[in-house]
Amino acid sequence: MTAAAVRVRGPWLVCGWCVIAVLVELGLYASYRGHDARFHWFTHAFVGAAAALAVMTAVVLIRRRPVPRPLLWPMIAHLFAMAPDLLFSGGYVHRGWMNLFLGHIRVHFVPGRNWTWLAVFLAALAAYLVAVDRARPASAAA
Amino acid sequence: MSSERVTLTVPPRRSLATVWLVATLISVLLLAVAGRFEGGRDDVDQAEQRVGFLDEGSLPIPAAPVASGLPASGRATVVLFLRPDDAAHECREVTRSVASSAAVVAVLSGSATCAEVAGVLVDPAGRTAAAYGMRVPIDGGPPVGYAVVDDRAMVRYRTLDPHPAAHSSEIMTVLAGL
Repeated sequence: MTAAAVRVRGPWLVCGWCVIAVLVELGLYASYRGHDARFHWFTHAFVGAAAALAVMTAVVLIRRRPVPRPLLWPMIAHLFAMAPDLLFSGGYVHRGWMNLFLGHIRVHFVPGRNWTWLAVFLAALAAYLVAVDRARPASAAA
Repeated sequence: MSSERVTLTVPPRRSLATVWLVATLISVLLLAVAGRFEGGRDDVDQAEQRVGFLDEGSLPIPAAPVASGLPASGRATVVLFLRPDDAAHECREVTRSVASSAAVVAVLSGSATCAEVAGVLVDPAGRTAAAYGMRVPIDGGPPVGYAVVDDRAMVRYRTLDPHPAAHSSEIMTVLAGL
């Protein structure tokens, strides 16, 4: 393999997981849209991503370096948060215990609704990015 | 070598800021655009529409009579709230989907054909919808949706839904959860 081939293939190999994460989220959005439930996709996406980013921030602070495959963490947390909706599609009505899935039911009723969760998500993202920035060795600081 | 490695693992501060700005712009845009897809018959508060769990808020409450002695003890009943323009389709399709599990009656906000259901009440004043606690949709008109009444004639679920027939599997899920 030539050096040029490596340079061309490299970014695609590295970012394969990025493509997977984006495609999964697009697929989930399409599914919720098909059920006229866009509102719920946003709620669980923001809540899941915010929870994942909180964990990612803690990991960065402890390990002093960015987490691997950062887009996969919010996607997995989103899948966890929305799991009761998969059960609902399978014929199981929502129950109180399903709040174990990142507050699956309760999170819909916060004041401000999805705009509140968007703000929480953006705050969590900012915290993670600041933690990543501070993980930079002093010799490499911008 | 080590400085290259650092560059790969910790992006420059400007890149991190760009990530946050792009995420903010995309998220705000998507959320704002998605809100515009809600129609006049949707709930003003989407959190209150098709919640998917029983006994929300003040429920359960006794079910007001609609027609043909329904709802009544002994069998679950689905009470449709419809406007005349799409009543025929919704009555036919919802009845076809849920009749094996529940009786179906309809409350219409104006005269229309609704032949397949067990009973029809024309209620332009909206008293029955108010008795069931149906919410007012975005356009301020009569509610379109349904209530699910259990076999003790108690309302256990209610929601606005502009297309109940399209979501009849959800009605079946709610009935299964009674």
